[in-house]
Amino acid sequence: MKKTIQIPLGSQHISLLEPIRFKFECENEKIIGVDADVGFVHRGVELACTRSFEFKQVGYVVARVCGLCAITHSLSYTLAAEKLLGYEANDRIKYLRMLMVELDRIHSHMLCLAHTAENAGFEALFMQIMADRELVMDLQEAISGNRVQFDFIAIGGVNRDLTPELTALIHKNLTLLSEKIDALIGLFNNNWSLSLKYKGVGVLRLEDAYTYNALGPLARAAGLATDVRVETSDFPYEDIGYTMILESTGDIHARNFVRLREIVNSIAMCRNIADNLPAGEILEKTKGKPKGEAVVRVEAPRGELFYLVRGNGGNMLERVRIKTPTFSGIPAMMEVFKSSEYADAPAILASFDPCMSCTAK
Amino acid sequence: MTKLETTLATLLADIGTFYEPKKWHFLTVNGIDLGEGKIELQWIFSKYGVKDEIVIYYALSDYETPVPSLVSLIPSAFMGEREIVDMFGLKVDGAERGLYLDEDSLQHPLRSES
Repeated sequence: MKKTIQIPLGSQHISLLEPIRFKFECENEKIIGVDADVGFVHRGVELACTRSFEFKQVGYVVARVCGLCAITHSLSYTLAAEKLLGYEANDRIKYLRMLMVELDRIHSHMLCLAHTAENAGFEALFMQIMADRELVMDLQEAISGNRVQFDFIAIGGVNRDLTPELTALIHKNLTLLSEKIDALIGLFNNNWSLSLKYKGVGVLRLEDAYTYNALGPLARAAGLATDVRVETSDFPYEDIGYTMILESTGDIHARNFVRLREIVNSIAMCRNIADNLPAGEILEKTKGKPKGEAVVRVEAPRGELFYLVRGNGGNMLERVRIKTPTFSGIPAMMEVFKSSEYADAPAILASFDPCMSCTAK
Repeated sequence: MTKLETTLATLLADIGTFYEPKKWHFLTVNGIDLGEGKIELQWIFSKYGVKDEIVIYYALSDYETPVPSLVSLIPSAFMGEREIVDMFGLKVDGAERGLYLDEDSLQHPLRSES
C-alpha cells in the first residue's frame, strides 16, 4: 500500500473568495480522495422564512442568501408565491425580470473570469475585468436603484420600469461591454498561461456529469445539454434569442469558454429585451394568501436554483426549501478533484465558480 | 409536477425502477415537518430537455425511523441526505451529521417543535 498524505485547502485560502474547506488525500502530487466542508456561513434562512417573516416579506429575505445572484433568489421565491396565489405575470413583467436575470449572469460570469485570471497570476487583467464589470453593475443600479441587493422583484411584478433614458444607457453600456468581451475571448483563446494550459486539466467527463447530476456551466462545458431556461415555461427565452452554449471537453478551458460565450448571448438577449419590451403594467395586484405547494426552477449564473414553497392559507409559510446550484455541484466537483494534481486544485476550484453563501444559506 | 407516494421500505426499489441517469436529473432531498413528530420526505427529479416535468417521490415518516440512503443509486444524493440529518435530526444510512451544524450539535432547527 502506497503512503498517502492529507493536505487541507481552506477554509481561508488565497484562491478562495468564500469559505469552504477541502481535505485532499494525496499520493505524491495526485489527489486520490477528497472531503468537503461547506457549512461555514450557514445563517438559517429557510427557518427565518417560516418563523420570522410573512410571505410578502420572504422575497426580500431570500435575496440576502447571496450577493451575486440575489435577483434569481427573489425571482424564484416570487414565482412560487405567485403560483400559489394563482397569478401569472404579464409579458412586460416577464421581460423586465429576464433583463435583470441576464444582467446578473453577465456580471457573475465576469467575476468568475476575473478570479480565474487572478489565480493564473494575471493581476492587471483581474482588475481590468472587474473595472469592465462596472458597466453591468452601473446598469443594474440605474434600473433597480441598487448595486447588489436589488429588491427589484415583487409579488405581482417589478418595482421600477424602464425609461427611454435607461434603454439608451443599456445599449451604450452593452456596446462598450461587447468590445471588452471580444478582447477577452481573444486573450482566453490565445494566451497559454491564462487558459490554454488548462486544456485537459480538471476534466468532468460527460458520463460523470450525468452520474453526479452536474448542472449549469459545469455540465454544459462537459457537453450535457441542460439549461433551466429551456426546461421551464415561466419565461419566453426562445423569443429573445436564447442559444444553449455547449462545449465538449469538460476541462477548465471549456468552462471558461462556456461563460464567455454565455456573456455574449446574454448581452444579445438584453438588447432584444430593451428593444422589444411589451406594453403593460409593471406591478399588478394579487389577492389571497398562499395555499398548497409550488416548485420553481430558475437558471442562476451557476446553474439550476430550485425553490419549493408550501403554504396553508395563512400569512406564515409552512416550508421554504432552497436548493442552490453550488450545493448540487459539490459531488461533481469532488469527482473532478479525484484524478487531478494537487497543484491544479486552486485553478480547478476557481473554474467551478463556487458560491458558498448560497450553499450554506 | 407529479407527486408519487412511496414508503421508506419500498423507496430503494421504487427509485431504482424509476431513475435513469441520462433521462432524469436528481434535484435534492427535502423534508417538511408535519407536526406531532411526523415528517414528509421528498425526493425530487426533473426531466432533461423537457419543459416543466418534475416528479416528486414522497414518503410519510417520523423522526426515529431510519431513512434509507439513495447513494447506491444516485451518488450525488449524499449532500441532500446530510442536510436532512442536520436540519431534522433524522437518521440516514451512511450520512454524517455536520454539514451545516457542528458534528456534536443537539439542534435540529427545522423540526416544528424546535
